[in-house]
Formats: sequence, structure tokens, C-alpha cells
Amino acid sequence: MNRIFILTPLIVLLIICIFSLVYLLSGKDPNKPPSALLNKDVPIFESSSLYNAKDIIKSKDIENKKTLINFFASWCSPCKIEHPLFFEIRKKYPELYLLGFNHKDPPSDAKKYLEDDGNPYDFVGVDSDGLIALEFGVFGLPETYLINEDGKIIYKFMGPLTMDILKNEIEPLL
Amino acid sequence: MSSLVGFLSLVFAIGINFYLLLSRYIFKFQNQKFNLFIRFSSLLTLLSFFSLMYAYVVSDFSNYNVFQNSHSNKPLIYKISGTWGNHEGSMLLWLSILSIFSFFFSFTKDIEESFQRLTLIIQSLLHILFGLFIVFTSNPFLVNSILVNEGLGLNPILQDPGLAVHPPVLYAGYVGYSIVFSIAVAGLFQNTDNEWLYVAKKWSLISWTFLTGGIALGSYWAYYELGWGGWWFWDPVENISLMPWIAGLALVHSLMMVRGEQAIKKWIVFLSILCFSLSVFGTFLVRSGILTSVHSFAADASRGIFILLIFFIVTGFGFLVFLLKEPKKSNSLNLLFINKVSALVINNILMIIATLTILLGTIYPIIIEVLYNKRISVGGPYFNSTVIPIMIPGFLLMSVAPILSWQTNKINDSKKYVVAFIILCVLVLIQSYFLDFNTWGFVGLLLGCWIILASFIAIFSSYKIKISIKFFKIINPHVAHIGVGIAIIGITCSSVFQNELDFNLSEGDKFNVNGKTVLFEKIETTNEINFQSLRGKFLFDIEKNQSKEIEAGKNYYPVSKMITSEAGILHLWNKDIYFILGDQKNNEWFVKVLINPFVSFIWLGVIIMMCSGLIAVSRR
Repeated sequence: MNRIFILTPLIVLLIICIFSLVYLLSGKDPNKPPSALLNKDVPIFESSSLYNAKDIIKSKDIENKKTLINFFASWCSPCKIEHPLFFEIRKKYPELYLLGFNHKDPPSDAKKYLEDDGNPYDFVGVDSDGLIALEFGVFGLPETYLINEDGKIIYKFMGPLTMDILKNEIEPLL
Repeated sequence: MSSLVGFLSLVFAIGINFYLLLSRYIFKFQNQKFNLFIRFSSLLTLLSFFSLMYAYVVSDFSNYNVFQNSHSNKPLIYKISGTWGNHEGSMLLWLSILSIFSFFFSFTKDIEESFQRLTLIIQSLLHILFGLFIVFTSNPFLVNSILVNEGLGLNPILQDPGLAVHPPVLYAGYVGYSIVFSIAVAGLFQNTDNEWLYVAKKWSLISWTFLTGGIALGSYWAYYELGWGGWWFWDPVENISLMPWIAGLALVHSLMMVRGEQAIKKWIVFLSILCFSLSVFGTFLVRSGILTSVHSFAADASRGIFILLIFFIVTGFGFLVFLLKEPKKSNSLNLLFINKVSALVINNILMIIATLTILLGTIYPIIIEVLYNKRISVGGPYFNSTVIPIMIPGFLLMSVAPILSWQTNKINDSKKYVVAFIILCVLVLIQSYFLDFNTWGFVGLLLGCWIILASFIAIFSSYKIKISIKFFKIINPHVAHIGVGIAIIGITCSSVFQNELDFNLSEGDKFNVNGKTVLFEKIETTNEINFQSLRGKFLFDIEKNQSKEIEAGKNYYPVSKMITSEAGILHLWNKDIYFILGDQKNNEWFVKVLINPFVSFIWLGVIIMMCSGLIAVSRR
């Protein structure tokens, strides 16, 4: 009995260390919470085009094709930084469907932004009230999601994409 | 140049400690010489630390650490505190404080030489572990690869006088437990007489007092800097400091009570190892980036793994020695229904349960995330509803514990206490009836007042009142408990009876706070050396001639592009009136006013506890 009492601290120590080690090695970052939607179906959404209010895109429309969804806004400076990368992606993966969601932005500003910096997206959906972003669990702009042919979210990235992330994390999934 | 000096002296100090560690087995030499080496390595470590500080003071941006965390426009005090306002520098501070403790311990004359030497060898082992950690993963002396004229600045939220002193004081507490740890482990190896217990008592009291001061400073800073009007948030980092504090409290009490009983001695060893383990565990949790808070600097997995390894080695080593070398013979405790020993045992059990409850709440999110990949957070409601009820019986017990007898169940003048308790209950009940009745408020007030009252009864009925240092030393335990009582009243009132008022105001508006008229005078913006400030000026109680001015606002730090809120606090003896300036909308400013009753009692209670801790150091 006495022995067990004295052994307890060592056992507790071991358990704490194992869990902490697994946590550290899994590369989790507490600043970036895991997405609840990862490996789940893409949320149901419906959005009209920035250029033509009658042109509607629904979650059903992106079934059967790999889609990269990017939330952006003209007021978001990190979005400006990652913007040129989408042209690279466009060039390299012409079959990938690029869907941009313009988040809480006056349409005129958004149009001007895409005029100045170019429009890499196949479709620019309007998310003026941020409801679609809410469905996706967007934390802050920019945020990028990769959806596979089965309509499941297989990858999520918070913050501006970089060449390294594109090469090391996104390309293997394409 | 200073970086080179710093780095070399750091490496040299680690080398000396290696040599000292091996001296137990290979190079044997005299004790006198051994102590000189320890002091020399301590001075080298301090030299290393001051070299870094020098680089900060002269804004030597060729040092990468200085470049990352300083700016030439900063006031001198923040250049100095910038030394430990970052991960690398704060780890060097940690090592320096470890050295200072070893340095002073090498002068101790109270214990056998061989025992002192063994303790210092264990300190050397700790020095080596943390020294290597700094050299390999957190080197503050890296050279900046680019030539720059200006640094990137210190996190503005850390640019505060309270926070400049908070880390050194807190670390003195954390690291101070290293000496207690080393003494306890040395005690297991040598298993000699009980002399080491008195030495351990002295050092654990010093550490505990520093830790108390460090926690209180951090808490006070959160109170006026974060602008939420609260002073304790059950933030993981706060919990981490609270665990060794409670365990240390249990340790200090056990050390004061021990009369050579083997069972308590064993328990003391366990607590000594636990206190330091919790300190290292706290360092691990904060520095690995597993937890996010204002304290977690850039996260880096390799650092985390290295500290985890140190934590595993130190704690594993401590508890393994405890397992293998446990004191064998055991004489039974003199446990009665209510005597000093049984009160001590109950108090210790409660404190350990409280510590484990906090530990569970703190690491639970990590376990859940590993197992289910889900992010949860454990916050105030869990801790309030578990830790506080666990502590309450302990508080009740502590009001009478100092006057309990060693041998019998008898409490002197027990009738006096019963009558006083009943009268107090009625008074607090009447008070609660006239104010808003709140269960926690009632319990907290009753508890706080009862502890103070019982301590005073004990002082007046058990001792002859004299004004002398000796007398103060005798009544010291009661004084410490009076401090706790005062703090409990402050904690209860400021959390339960806090009052919040919201206003939308234009400049020149008058409004009513707590029956007094307040004038929102004007908004002022000024440019300071390293920030721009926006202040709302308020005049409190304008009907009186001596109305008091309060300024609340925000600071904008252009170097790091951050805004900090600066609460305006009017300190009255029985309440703080806490002004927060919000955003402007349609020419109106949102102003939040919090009335925090008796908040100053918390700090007063803490100061009394700390003074009492220091007095107890000098008492044998």
C-alpha cells in the first residue's frame, strides 16, 4: 500500500510527460485551434457573384471537383500579400476550381481591389454579412480551405499562404 | 563584445558546474575549495546576465536578442526590464537566480559540510541542465546577421513598472524551491539527523515569500493594465504559479510543525520535490507554447521538448530517490480529534487536493486535444466551483490552528471562541440582510472576519502584550493568518459585490457614480517618447472643493503597432472606482465604470503575509 502511494507521483509524471510529448510532436499550435470542420462535409452555402447578382453558386455546384476556397477582403492587407500566389496556383493547376469569398466588403471596393491586383478566381462569391464565413468557422482573414471531390474539407490554413506552405502542405493534397 | 563576454562566461560557468558534479566521484578536493568554485560559477553566470543587460542598456543591436526585443527610444527602465521581457533573457534570469541561491547557500553554516556539499552538487546538476537548455535552444547572445540601427521594440503590454519587477520576484520564488528540492534529495541520500529540516524551512519560507510577492505583482498588473476590472482570471499561467504556491504553503506549515516525526519528514520530502517539480512544469507549459498567454513568447517545439526532458529528469530523479531511499523506520503520529498534528494533516490534505484540482483543470485541455483533437478551455467556473469549496474547511481550521495543543484535544478558552463566533454570525447576517444577500458573499465575509477575530482573541488571551521584536516573532503565525483574513474579505467583496455602470458620454457631460457627480471633462491626446496617448479626463465628486481627477484611456505604440488600454483607478480605502474608456461613436464615448469594494484589502493582506513570511525566516 505504502509502495503504491510512493509510486503514484512517478506514474502521474509519466502520464503528464507522455501527453505533453505527443502534443508537442503533433505540431499543434495553441494559437491555431484545430478546425471542427476538418474531414467533414463542406457547409451548405449559397452566394451570388460579385459581378452579377443573378449568378448564384451553391455548395452543390462544387461537388465532383477539387476546390480551393479563399476568404478575402479589400481591407485585409495580408490578403494582398498572398494574392499573387493564386495566379501561380491557377497556372499550375488549371483543373482546380478557385472560389473566392469576398468577406464583409462594399462591392465597389472589392471590384476595385480585383481590378488593381487581378482576379485569379473562377468565381467570386459575396459574403457581405459574413454568414458563410461563420459557417466555415473563419477566425480571421485570409483563410483558405481545400475541398476534395467528395465535398469534404481536407485542408485549412489561417493567415496568408506562402510558397513554402503551398509546396509542402497543399501540393501533396492536389 | 558584451555578447561575447556574456556567452563565454555562461559556457565557462556550466563547465565549472560539470567539474563540480564530477568532483563527487573523480576529482576530490576540499570543501573550502568546493565552495569557492560554486561562488565563482555563480559570479560568472551573473556576469553573463549583466552583459546581456548592458547590451540592452546601450541598445547594441548587433545582438539579435536585443534587436528583436528592444528599441533605442524606450525609457531606460524598460531597456533594463527588456532583458527578461523575452524568452531567452528570462531563461538566463532563471539561471542567474539559481546561481544566486547556490551562492548564498554556500555560506550556510547551520549544517554539516558534507550535506551542504551534496546539496550544492544537486544545484550544479540543475545549473547544467538549464545552462545547456539556454546554450542550445535559447541563446540570448546570437549575433545579428544584418546591420541595423534600430530594434523591433518590446511588447507594449510589458512596458509597465509593475511588470518590470514581476518576473525577477516570481522567479526568485520558483527557483528558490530548487534549493529546497536539493536539500530534500540530499536529505534522502544522507538520511542523517533532523538538522536539515530547519535549513529547509528557512529557504522554503524565503521562496514562498518571493512567490507570493511575484504572484501579487502579476495580479495587480493584470488589474490595472488589462482593463477588465478583475485581478484574477484563472488563466493557465496564473494556475501554474498558484500550484507551487499552495504546495509551498503546505510545505512551510509542515516544516514549522515537524518535531522529528518520520511520517511528516517523509511528507516534507515529498512536498519539497513537488514544489520544485511544479515550478519546472510551469516553466515547461509556458515556454513550450502549449499554453497561450501574454507570457508565451515565440513557441518552438524543440525548446518545449528540451524543457519537458528537464522536467522529466528533475522530477523523475527526485521521486525515484524518494522511492528508493525513503526513510525506513516510522513512529506513529500523535493524531487526536483536534490537536495541532491532526489540524496540520487535514490542512495538508486539503491543500494537496486543491493543487491537484488546479493541475487537472490546467492539463485537461491538453489531454482532450491529444485524444480527441478538440479544443476546449477550462476556465473560471470550474476553478471557482471546485477549488474554493475545497479550501473553505482549511480556512475555518486555520483560525484556531495556532492555539491548538500538541498533546490534548483541549482548546484554551474555547467558550470565548464559540460566543465570538455566534455574535459574528449574527452581525454578518444582519449586514447581508441590509445589503443584497449573496451566499458566497456571506460565507466569504464570515470566514474572513472570523479568521481575524479568532486570531486577535488568541493573541490577547494567550500572550502577554509587549512591544518587542520577540513578541512579534511569537505572535507571527497569528499575524500571517490575520493577513489571510483581510485578503479573503478583499477577494470576497471585490468579486461578489462588484458593481458595473455603463455610459455613453460626450465631453462636458455629468453623470452619477455611487452617489457622487462625475464630470467627463475632456479628451486629450499627447505624444510621449515611445507611444501616443489618448486620455479621457474625469473629475470625481465635483460638488466638493477637492474633486479628484481620474484619467482613463489608451496608448498606441507605433513601433509594434499595438494599442493598450489604461484604466483610470481612483483608490479609496474601502473601494476602487475603476474607469475604462471605450470607443467613440457619433461623438459619444463609451465609458464603463466599475466599483470594486475593498480591493485594497487583497494587497494589504498579501503584504502582511509576506512580512510575516520574512519574520518567520529569522525565527528558529
